[in-house]
Amino acid sequence: MTQCPECEATVENRAMVIGEIFPCRDCGTELEVTGNEPLAVMPAPKEAEDWGE
Amino acid sequence: MKEVAVVGGSGFVGGELLRLLLRHPEVRITQVTSDSMAGRSIGRSHPNLRKATDLTYIRHSALTPADVTFVATPHGESMSRTPELLASGGTVIDLSADFRLRDPALYPKYYHAAHPHPELLGESVLGLPELYRERLRAARLIAVPGCIATAAILALRPLVDAHLLGPSPVVVDSKSGSSASGRDSGPAGLHAERAGVMRAYAPEGHRHTAEIEQETGSRIALTCHAVEAVRGVLATCHAFLARPVEEKELWRTYRSAYGSEPFVRIVHESDGLYREPEPKILAGTNYCDIGFAVDRHAERVVALAALDNLMKGAAGGAVQCFNVRHGFPETTALEFLGLHPI
Repeated sequence: MTQCPECEATVENRAMVIGEIFPCRDCGTELEVTGNEPLAVMPAPKEAEDWGE
Repeated sequence: MKEVAVVGGSGFVGGELLRLLLRHPEVRITQVTSDSMAGRSIGRSHPNLRKATDLTYIRHSALTPADVTFVATPHGESMSRTPELLASGGTVIDLSADFRLRDPALYPKYYHAAHPHPELLGESVLGLPELYRERLRAARLIAVPGCIATAAILALRPLVDAHLLGPSPVVVDSKSGSSASGRDSGPAGLHAERAGVMRAYAPEGHRHTAEIEQETGSRIALTCHAVEAVRGVLATCHAFLARPVEEKELWRTYRSAYGSEPFVRIVHESDGLYREPEPKILAGTNYCDIGFAVDRHAERVVALAALDNLMKGAAGGAVQCFNVRHGFPETTALEFLGLHPI
């Protein structure tokens, strides 16, 4: 269990894997799982518009 | 099972009450009054209720005691009649303004008449379960707050309780759909006048000011607009802070106040079309959606509340209070989730 870094809502570990992206239940921020023992999340990077061409 | 009477059933709020109560598993509606519609069927004034009931309207004077009497008459009409209803031993749930204000001196100022029964103002319990759930469980007389007041109070009260607001007045800017002015709204309700409207119909002095001040303890500067909608209230509250506040603190504040409430949702999302409260998707539901934003430039918090004026702002709130008062599950008959798109 951890908290959403944006709104502090409780985020429970539902057998998520590192790299999984899911929305926070309260604020809707897309979170990326960065660790699972213990669970750690961070805001998922937004899709970039500049693809480096 | 409770035997229920609805006084003033032919208006918009009365119709919404009947819609909810006709499907309430613990209610038997025994009487619906309307002097203007006496003898006619309920479906004549509320076509959505066709064939849902065989009840016809009776005159107010024919009303007999019931376990619970919902009063949905215009402001000023229930003040004199309520002692008689209470004397019969039942519960009275009044949806008018007649018992909302605890200070009798405010009635001449906001409703242009002295209150004939000021002794009942101290007994009356405001019909906001989020604030008065325990008192409602034993109340004889329940006064459901106004629609704009409900929205503004629910948006502001957690900020007040957390001592986040500075000494400046709180500006409340509300937008209302046309049903908020009732079935007999006069020329302002004509399609030719109402269509496309964005009218400041009460730049100051709106009577809900008194209710919001009573329940928040803040000085309220309320401006009310009529907008192009049938149902809905959006109250945008501009409150200046006592100290700098982060959004996370507001999340904690609102979550602490409403995290377990069945009909208040905190809506402040990072993405999507409906990031903040929007009355449109609440039509027919009993939800009040609360949102917020911190304006660091002006040391301001913008607190937003959206609801359906006929539901959480009137009939839905009344049925929620009825459920609390009589020990029924609080969401009974109020579980509609709304429509999208609408």
